[in-house]
Amino acid sequence: MSAADKKNVPPTDTERRRVLRLLGKGSVVAAFAAQIGAAARAFFPNVLYEPPTKFKLKRPEEYPPGFTFDAAHRLFVVREEDAFHVISAVCTHLGCTVQWRENEFDCPCHGSRFRPNGSVISGPAPRPLSWFDTRLSPDGFLEVDSAVDVAPGFRFVPPKGQA
Amino acid sequence: MGEQLAKLWRKISWSWSPGSERESSEAIVRNLWLHWFPAKITRAAMSWNYSLWLGTAAASLFFILTVTGVMLMFFYVPSTERAYGSIKDLQYAVSFGRVLRNQHRWAAEGMVAVVFLHMARVFFTGAYRGTRAANWLVGVGLLLATLLLSFTGYLLPWDQLAFWAVTVGTNIAREAPVVGGTMRFLLLGGTQIDQQTLLRFYVLHVFFLPAVLWVMFAYHMWRVRKDGGLGAVEAIKADRRMAPKPMPATKSYSLFGLTPGTSVQVMSSTELEAEDQVVSSPNLTRRIVLVFLIVFNATLLASIFFNAPLEEAANPAVTPNPAKAPWYFVWLQELVASTTVHIGPLTISGGFLGGILLPGVLLVLLAVWPWLDRSPLSAEGRWFPSSRKTQNRVFVVAMIAIVLLIVVGVFLRGPNWRIYWPGMPRPQAPTVL
Repeated sequence: MSAADKKNVPPTDTERRRVLRLLGKGSVVAAFAAQIGAAARAFFPNVLYEPPTKFKLKRPEEYPPGFTFDAAHRLFVVREEDAFHVISAVCTHLGCTVQWRENEFDCPCHGSRFRPNGSVISGPAPRPLSWFDTRLSPDGFLEVDSAVDVAPGFRFVPPKGQA
Repeated sequence: MGEQLAKLWRKISWSWSPGSERESSEAIVRNLWLHWFPAKITRAAMSWNYSLWLGTAAASLFFILTVTGVMLMFFYVPSTERAYGSIKDLQYAVSFGRVLRNQHRWAAEGMVAVVFLHMARVFFTGAYRGTRAANWLVGVGLLLATLLLSFTGYLLPWDQLAFWAVTVGTNIAREAPVVGGTMRFLLLGGTQIDQQTLLRFYVLHVFFLPAVLWVMFAYHMWRVRKDGGLGAVEAIKADRRMAPKPMPATKSYSLFGLTPGTSVQVMSSTELEAEDQVVSSPNLTRRIVLVFLIVFNATLLASIFFNAPLEEAANPAVTPNPAKAPWYFVWLQELVASTTVHIGPLTISGGFLGGILLPGVLLVLLAVWPWLDRSPLSAEGRWFPSSRKTQNRVFVVAMIAIVLLIVVGVFLRGPNWRIYWPGMPRPQAPTVL
């Protein structure tokens, strides 16, 4: 019997049964896998009850010159004359809160040290501290977006009469 | 009715001083609590000096932890607002709550230590070769589960240690290539450490991880029996092979007796002899009760005299200075703090190198060690055999390195994670700004 002949032979009963059985088992396994996948998906929340990344701080004039720590938002507001910038207090190594001491930021967890501009002096921190985008809200408060980083050296000078 | 009860009692109890060997083995075989033990056990495995009974001690600690843990669940509230308060209640308002929590804590720290020592014993006696390699692998899994249980456990009080440990721990997870960010999101149940995070770690700690550990423990015990008992058995068998008993004077007319060469009696002398073994009931059962009581009383004594640590309530704004992990993780903290490397413009964070890569390599090395080990099988079941000098040296060096890192972390690190030698004044770092 040649190959062409073989093609024309209708599938035997056993072959048909084998395919049907495979389909049956396959659908059961597929359904089970889908259920597992659905259960796993539930662990990735769709709604997060977390504070927004964009938030208001105090009015510019309320900040004294120098470094002011904002505990609620884990950042430093830095005022030089009329210019402001905001540096994150979250260490870039493993996320501990750095402290401002004698002209440098120190991390208590693994000993990273940063210059006043956030760049690394020593320690395990792989990146400089983040600088956050800062502006003035319409009602006259400093407004920070911690999801938006700006280049170090960024300065925000509020319009006259605000600071 | 009374007779029925007596019958039931006979099924779940046994005689502690059996009158015959038959009564002894029946106690093992027909009893629900004892059926997973062998009817007879080798004298070598019963020896205090061989196993130091560290595995039994670890299992005892795990049993204590399960019972005290379930009791603590009646008092603990897994909520970021109430968790810390419920621990304070246990310490100051619940009768004997302090002892209960202390015992859970000290048993947990004890279990980390004992499981590690048990692994060291198995390593030094070479009891992970051949058929026992699979059980070594299960043991590595048990060690890992023990460490994960400790980690998820000390997060629950929601004090400063807890909060900063989750912060650091989940940020290490983030450093994993490709899946890091997803893993952290999954662990935290979001992007910030919050109620979802506490709940997830709680369920992991009180159900998921203990269930995994119980299943692995059961398999570990089953494998011990399938592998023919402790490694010490191999040493006896090897000794028997070296000095076979003289052939019995009787002549064998069996089929085997006609074959030339070694007769069946010589072959069978490699097997265990009656004098090598004792009945498990009551020898093994008594010993297990004794080890359990020693361990239980040790943890209870520690719990009466020493309080489990509890720091101030979690405060995201202020990281304690220095912020130290519990002693069994301090060596990892040392690693992540000192392994950030700069290669040209490229920076590899210590979080990845010291937090994931190095421990990962160590774990894989530990897991596959039985298959790398080329020492002779005859070394199995003895302490420090000369043919295993190299392996033991490698293991001791690794152990000393870890212990040194722990000593440096626990005793020498001060504020800002700097080294302070004994006697050097340590600046008081403010904990509140």
